[in-house]
Amino acid sequence: MLKYIARRFVEMLLTLFIIATATFFLLEAVPGDPLSQRADRLPEQSRIALYARYGLDKPVLERYLTQMNNMLHGEFGESFVYAGQTVSGLLRDRLPVSARLGIQQMLLGVTVGLLLGILAAMKARTAADYAVVGLSVLLISIPHLVFGLLLQKVFAGTLQWFPTIGWPSGSELWFGGWKYTVLPTLTGCFSYIATYARLLKTSMLDVVNQDYVLTAESKGLSRGAIIRKHILRNSFIPVMTQLPMSVAMCITGSFFIESIFSIPGIGQYYVTAVRNQDLSIVLGETVLLALLYIVVLFITDILYVVVDPRISMPGSSRR
Amino acid sequence: MQDNNIQLSPDKFKIIGYTQEEANKIDRPTISYWQDAWRRLKKNPVAMAALVVLALLVVLVIVGPYIRGYDYVSMNVADKNQGSSAEYWFGTDSLGRDLFSRIWVGARASILIALVATSLKLVVGTLYGAVMAHFGGWVDELLMRVIEVINSLPNLLITILIMMVLGNNLGALLVALSITAWCNTARQTRGMIKQLKESEYVYAAEVLGASPLHIIIKHYVPNMISILLLDASTAIPSFIFTEAGLSFLGIGLTSPEISLGVLISQGQQTMDFYPSQLFYPCAVLCIIVMAFNLLGDGLRDALDPRLRK
Repeated sequence: MLKYIARRFVEMLLTLFIIATATFFLLEAVPGDPLSQRADRLPEQSRIALYARYGLDKPVLERYLTQMNNMLHGEFGESFVYAGQTVSGLLRDRLPVSARLGIQQMLLGVTVGLLLGILAAMKARTAADYAVVGLSVLLISIPHLVFGLLLQKVFAGTLQWFPTIGWPSGSELWFGGWKYTVLPTLTGCFSYIATYARLLKTSMLDVVNQDYVLTAESKGLSRGAIIRKHILRNSFIPVMTQLPMSVAMCITGSFFIESIFSIPGIGQYYVTAVRNQDLSIVLGETVLLALLYIVVLFITDILYVVVDPRISMPGSSRR
Repeated sequence: MQDNNIQLSPDKFKIIGYTQEEANKIDRPTISYWQDAWRRLKKNPVAMAALVVLALLVVLVIVGPYIRGYDYVSMNVADKNQGSSAEYWFGTDSLGRDLFSRIWVGARASILIALVATSLKLVVGTLYGAVMAHFGGWVDELLMRVIEVINSLPNLLITILIMMVLGNNLGALLVALSITAWCNTARQTRGMIKQLKESEYVYAAEVLGASPLHIIIKHYVPNMISILLLDASTAIPSFIFTEAGLSFLGIGLTSPEISLGVLISQGQQTMDFYPSQLFYPCAVLCIIVMAFNLLGDGLRDALDPRLRK
């Protein structure tokens, strides 16, 4: 077990290194540089000073090494485009916004999705089942973009129940200001509902036909007990594979929603930063989001063992 | 009792009614895998409805812009921002251009992008995966690392950078969409071929001196067509989604190019006053995606042998 964690840790560092390197050189490969817009109108001397301030006068390889070295110490550097803006400041201001949006979407979407999935599987081949399946196809087929715009139009524009754009800030950053968060959360949660309802239904139908369910029935267990103790736990494995993906995507996955509702999250900022070739910001965000992704995947691998004792930890025993 | 004259003579065991050939004859016509799949698909009303809708969409995408006789670019300032009417079926936009014609031109671009990007993804992914699986060893390792690097970078980063370098045009968008998408296909192909590789007929072909390319095209690909078809049926709607989203954000196509994403983004600007300009492109987008999704579901049921009873 310890050996496995150590190996995964080394792999993780290697992946992060590759990601950082690839991002750095990709951004370098794009013609133009981030300062040209600011520097073009400046006199020669100030321009040179400006480039020197951000270290852009040095050769690429030297800058790469400096950047890597700084990142090892947790310093991603300052934004080229917005003076004084740093990655840590960005994370402080914008990450909570995206995180809250993502978490709300997931909590609502996954809960409703799983409940609908159970309903559809238990009432298979009835009207309820077809309704859930039809609903999930419908929800999957309507893009976030269209959903967001329509919700915004109807509930914020015509009915005026909710504000059109904006996001709670200050003391309400994590809790409160619900009227702002309702529409974006709804927009994002539909795809979770569709995905999880389908996933759980399929896997529950697989499990229902297993012998041990028949055994449980013939023992005289109640239907509720069979579902809880025998069916649900066993049909959760596909859900467990999907869940970490959703967690990892939930922060980055809301670009469109953030754009529609003008939410000041990291998704929208990321797009701007890439377009401005704002190296330190892009690098910082990319590496940190990748880190989140990798850590989440790692936690899932451990969760597997909790959900399904048949899966043994890779490397823990040799066959 | 025992000797109760049961006389068994050889002629009692003669075949009298039918011949050996008749017994071996197969009465029902043999049907191939594809005929069987098609038969299953035909029994699925939802999938058939989706197929009909798709056929209709294809027709509309081809002839739609010409039905009303309005050019999709020429402006008519006197008739701007109109709602639906007998003259302009879907109304007009803020420059007085006929929305009906524009939507089908846009849908044409969206569908074309999705189809071309999907074919690129499938061709590149299959060949790449096949090479990985066929050669194995260090080639496999190396190519797998390449996939891991591409997968670990955020798609959006790569897409934006490519669009920045190549400009906001159709070709650039195709490159940007397919450059990351093939990785998944390559992985699936690799897994599948690793299984096929163990089979005797591939071994036989190798012994007979067939070239790797010959084995890939003649033996691996036909075995994997159903998997690839399912891959395509999920890829097409997701490409249409992505295209619309990117164009909406201003990263994909931009005006004067027309796609559903561009039309939706234009519709959003006027949605407070003229919701129809937003509604129609959105509706067409949803119908296209839903038709592809439903057909894909039907195909999955028809093609997956595990679901057969």
